[in-house]
Amino acid sequence: MLIAALRKELLLQWRSRAQFMAVFVFGAAALLLFSFAVGPVAEMLRQFSAGFLWLGLLLSSTLTLAESFHAEMENRALEGLLLLPANPRALYYGKAIANWLQLVLLGIALVPVMVVLYDAGTTRIGPLIGVIALGAAGLSAPGTLYAAMTAQVRSKQTLLPLLLFPLIVPALLASVKATSLIILGDPMNQVTAWIVLLVAFDAIYWSLCGLLFSRVVEE
Amino acid sequence: MKRNLFWLAIALLAAAVYCGLIVTVGEQYLRADLSLGLPVGARTLIALLGGLVALVLLIVADDFRNLSRPKALAVAGALFLMVGSYFGLFVAPPEQFMGDIQRIMYVHVPTAWFALVALTLAFASAVVYLFGGDYDWDARMEASIEVGVVLAFLLCCQGSIWAKPTWGVWWDWDPRLTTTAVLLFAFLGILALRKFVDDPYRRAMWSAVATIIAYVDVPIVYFSVKWWNSLHQQQSNPNTVSKPFWIPLRASAFGILLLMTAFIMLRARVAALRLKHELAPPPLTGAEIGESV
Amino acid sequence: MNGVVSGGWNFVVAAYAVTALVLLIYGVTVITRLRDEISRASEER
Repeated sequence: MLIAALRKELLLQWRSRAQFMAVFVFGAAALLLFSFAVGPVAEMLRQFSAGFLWLGLLLSSTLTLAESFHAEMENRALEGLLLLPANPRALYYGKAIANWLQLVLLGIALVPVMVVLYDAGTTRIGPLIGVIALGAAGLSAPGTLYAAMTAQVRSKQTLLPLLLFPLIVPALLASVKATSLIILGDPMNQVTAWIVLLVAFDAIYWSLCGLLFSRVVEE
Repeated sequence: MKRNLFWLAIALLAAAVYCGLIVTVGEQYLRADLSLGLPVGARTLIALLGGLVALVLLIVADDFRNLSRPKALAVAGALFLMVGSYFGLFVAPPEQFMGDIQRIMYVHVPTAWFALVALTLAFASAVVYLFGGDYDWDARMEASIEVGVVLAFLLCCQGSIWAKPTWGVWWDWDPRLTTTAVLLFAFLGILALRKFVDDPYRRAMWSAVATIIAYVDVPIVYFSVKWWNSLHQQQSNPNTVSKPFWIPLRASAFGILLLMTAFIMLRARVAALRLKHELAPPPLTGAEIGESV
Repeated sequence: MNGVVSGGWNFVVAAYAVTALVLLIYGVTVITRLRDEISRASEER
């Protein structure tokens, strides 16, 4: 059931890959704007590069997540109902994994932008991708749940970030710190603590949101 | 609410006030030993448990009918808070290091406790609603969230006013205060969610889910901010409160406890009345009785 | 903490005043909303 749901989601995403390009451009533009806000001081930009990357990814995620229930809403938009899923849990995890993959790809795509704009290169690509994967997972789990809720309401654009942003503060903090340590150096090996926090956050929310999802889509 | 449960709660409160406050007043001002032979540990336990169980009883067993009971609780709360404030401002001596700024703690600490208590009540109401579907619990949840948000906002104001003379800045990223700010935004978001959903069933279900998710986040946010901040600053807030300061702290604590309880009870009535209106079938006009839909 | 923090009465008064004001204003809004709901409910009967 999950594989079928996942396959359907990935197919939907592949069909709308132009949308992915648009979101990537949005994210890259955000990174550019951050540098204008801070000023062309190379050293400062490098210090904050991890923060900018994750803020850019967070802002872009609202677009990605909001889109993820578009197909379900399309046919039922007038009644404001979600297409009833046969198995809500499979639907949730399918969408959450698909969203996660999109966010990971987005994060990886934004890394070169970060490297160029902020002089924030690193040779530790493996750990960097790992942190992006874990952080994106933290965004995707609650984000998919709230996207399902807000897709059925008016003012969905404001509600999704309003609900999501306070919630993912721990994931944001941990991702930014871990990324920062990878880019700028980690003499005291503090990265492990932040990774553990991310893993704990992901574990808690992937299970909790999966449990509660059926309540969000029932009639 | 059944009369027995209400008066049981009042009795528990009286015991809590006696053990927590009156005995200390006796020690410090009347030179009388009113402790009835109970050791300090037992008295503190009675004060804490009595107060908490009483407020839970008052909120949980409330059937939203009687108005004079919550109003009486509010008046009592205001009185306790005024007594506590008087002692805190004019009677208690200035603290050794903090000087007069310490006096802010007498209202700040209880506000912190009861902001968390209110949000915990919201979480419990959300869980009970999810299991039972009883809209009374949705009303209690809405009330607890709103009161919790007000107290959290107040907490941020007090914390900011405390930080300026102490640290020279309006915000010092203290983990507890920062967690409160995040909480404030999270639960404000839930209140906004409720405003945007018209269907009462969905509103109740979704905000219950959101409340559970947000509440589970509280300890995670706290620890992550603590680690994040630990590289920059030491802990700043004074923790232990010594004896001369017990009276203003505890009197204010009982004041805020009673006010919070009264506000939740009253606000739950507002929510319950609105729900009743929304869930009632629409009245038939004469024309509609003739035609069928 | 190093040294003694002197003065600061303004801040203390501000904190107590904010506390009293917020609680008072919130209480008034709750009672007002409750009165409105009660009168609306009795009108509908």
